[in-house]
Amino acid sequence: MKLYRKEGNILQILSFPNDNSEKGDYLLVDDADAGKALIAQVIDVQFAAIPGVLEELLRTLPDGGEPIQGEDIDPLEIAPHITYIQDASLLVCKIRATLENGMLTPSSSWLPSRSQSTIKKLSIPMLTKLARMDGNLPVILGGTKDGSLLTIDASAIDGTLNIITGKKGCGKSHLSKLMMVSMVGYKATVVVFDLNGEYSSLGMTADGKRNMYYDKIHALTPGQNFKVALDQLHLNVVMGILIHALHLPGTSAREFRRLWKQLKDNGKLSLSALGDAIRNLNCNQHVRDALASRFHSLVNSGFFTDSPVEATMLEECLLKAKDNGGAVIVNLKNTNNIDRQIVVEYVLGKLVDSLQSWKLKAVFLFAEEAHLYLRETYWDDIVTRMRHFGIFTTFITNQPDTIKDGIYRQADNIFLFNFTNEHDLEVVSRAARVDAETVKSIARDLPPHHCLTLGRAVSDFPIVTRVRALDLRTMGETRLFFKDAKVSVGCA
Amino acid sequence: MVIEQYVTTPKYNFPQPSMDTSLPQRFVELSLNSLRQVRGQNFQLNQQLIQQDSPHDFSMTLQLSRQPISLSPKTKNTLIAAVDTSTIKIGETSTGIIIAVRGANVWKQDRSYHYRRLGPFIFHVTEDNKKEVYNALEKSYFTTQYSYCHQTTPNLLQMPTRLASLLERWLQTMIARIAKDGILLFDGSLTSGTADTPVQRMCDILSTARLHGNIVLAFSKATCLRANGYLITDLLPERDPPYLLETTGVKFKPPTVLLGDVYVARLNKAKLAFRLDVDKEIPFSNRVEAVERLIGNDLYLQSYPETLRLAHILCTFTANEVLAIQHFITRNHGIQIVNRPDMHRLLFGPFGRGEGYA
Repeated sequence: MKLYRKEGNILQILSFPNDNSEKGDYLLVDDADAGKALIAQVIDVQFAAIPGVLEELLRTLPDGGEPIQGEDIDPLEIAPHITYIQDASLLVCKIRATLENGMLTPSSSWLPSRSQSTIKKLSIPMLTKLARMDGNLPVILGGTKDGSLLTIDASAIDGTLNIITGKKGCGKSHLSKLMMVSMVGYKATVVVFDLNGEYSSLGMTADGKRNMYYDKIHALTPGQNFKVALDQLHLNVVMGILIHALHLPGTSAREFRRLWKQLKDNGKLSLSALGDAIRNLNCNQHVRDALASRFHSLVNSGFFTDSPVEATMLEECLLKAKDNGGAVIVNLKNTNNIDRQIVVEYVLGKLVDSLQSWKLKAVFLFAEEAHLYLRETYWDDIVTRMRHFGIFTTFITNQPDTIKDGIYRQADNIFLFNFTNEHDLEVVSRAARVDAETVKSIARDLPPHHCLTLGRAVSDFPIVTRVRALDLRTMGETRLFFKDAKVSVGCA
Repeated sequence: MVIEQYVTTPKYNFPQPSMDTSLPQRFVELSLNSLRQVRGQNFQLNQQLIQQDSPHDFSMTLQLSRQPISLSPKTKNTLIAAVDTSTIKIGETSTGIIIAVRGANVWKQDRSYHYRRLGPFIFHVTEDNKKEVYNALEKSYFTTQYSYCHQTTPNLLQMPTRLASLLERWLQTMIARIAKDGILLFDGSLTSGTADTPVQRMCDILSTARLHGNIVLAFSKATCLRANGYLITDLLPERDPPYLLETTGVKFKPPTVLLGDVYVARLNKAKLAFRLDVDKEIPFSNRVEAVERLIGNDLYLQSYPETLRLAHILCTFTANEVLAIQHFITRNHGIQIVNRPDMHRLLFGPFGRGEGYA
């Protein structure tokens, strides 16, 4: 390989077929005289502009587009040299850092010698060593192209905002499960908003046996094993549900607050008492109607109960998870839009309460397709306010434009799977911790189950990984109409 | 890597088994030997790539007939075969030059084109070995020695064209022997008696061709022949092509001899015509018929036969191939490339356009 050109932080390197470099590979451009080296990542591979190639190609097709039949008698065997030159490629590389005296600096301000520099591939283990990515809490994400494992430190996800995105069916949920169980393995408390009911069985292996996470996975299905008694609720949480999920106007909200306090003071806080109080409320008809309709929504959700036996203590599950690590899976699979928002409001409100009172230290929140249940104002809350309480969120989506720009700019880690759509890539490339060229060039060509990891977890050295397999029952498969039909047609 | 031993490649089967293949083998041996001598030296890339030029003609009292000979294509299936060679200077060493030579045969049979390319052969030619290289090659194939060759020591700069010419004559001899009742297309003219084409050698090629029922047609891409001060290829009558214009009175200064009769051939409506030399020994009616069979069997998009055009295209060295040859001699023979400054550029900056320009 030979250094050809440098423009800004882009290097162009001439590479020959046996160099075998691909997008995502790291190269070390070592200038021994300067005592420095550049670490650059291949973001595109192009044909080198070799003079005469066009003539070479044209003369093989002179006869109406069909190759002319013939024989080359090449006793000196020059032909392999011709193809060697013809197949030379130009590696477009992004400079990631300068290595000097064993230290990395994010500088690309110096120019290595074009004639004297040596260029060689930098293996991922060497890169992770140089970048000091290794820590005490390793999470193996998967294998890299050079056969090594990519290990990130769990602390790189601690206190951070993460995004897992990519087009449908490329392995986003799989990675989020991998990260989730890894965090649980390190005794972290995890809460998952499980939109498709695919996390509930993570305590089982693929063949249906219990695994090491069995006792740590607490699956809660609203209306079934997840119900709440009103007297367990804090007023703020209820007000959050009414205002944000059920859009209760301000005047009515004030009236409800007064009613709630009255019932609470009398020790009569139950669904039936609340219903009676609203019915007998002596106030404006519109206010009463508004409160009545919201009350019926609460009742119809099936999420609230007056029976203390039926009521599940979310706090208890969280506290269990606090001591030995665990995941509370909130299964939103068969929940309608309003009920989903009620449940999410409740869970988030409860989490904030628990964190504010230091009952919990911190929570890792995994939110799949959050735009389907997260209200507008929560986005900003999550990246600013809730982070300080100790809610560290990972968003998982296949529609990157549903996540606000502000989230991308503040994301600490992005786990990017394949996208072919320009618009999607454009959205993701707004993330602050990565350059648009890298995202657009590498993500477009990622094979399924391959993920480009960007951000703090990889010390800002984007690395492509094939996400490792998990022996978990994932339940995330798409239900297919023709799945069985194929077999029967085959048999017929 | 040192090439200690040269082994003939298994696919090295040109020409047919009945043919004498000693020239290409000798080419290979001499090629490798000459490169061994230069091992470990530095070499300067050629600053100007020169492809083989056609020799200049010197006409005297030439007359061009104003009465065109009309042609009507004859589609009777006829073998059309063409030969061309090319040479290029790859670079210079402290003692000589490194050149590459390649030849191509193209033939059209049963409506499809086929080719066979020979080479490239790479030679390191020095003042010391130039005569030896040339004579050894010539002796190894052309059993008849022509006194003319021995009198002339080729100039070092002429060596590329001389070696290419030697290969071309050999390929022409081979095709003249192999082909039967075909039209053989040569690049250039049928002028002989020049340093690289002894009269007897060209006579032998033409007689071999005749013996096998072939007719040789030589097309020149450019000519210096003039009638009344005008290039003969510019004096085209207002007549629908295809046609031939006959010339008379073409004479060259001795020892140059013309073994063909010169015509101007305009084969289609493109406003292009070429000098065409046809073997003198072929009767007039057969000459016209040969051209008619050519236009009935071959494509001639710009009034130039496609078979000959392909032969030229296939043997020409592209810049990519020159790079590959440089790569080959660097890798296989340990010759280091050095970039000596171009004096023209150095002295005259942007006004110095390279050594090839005056």
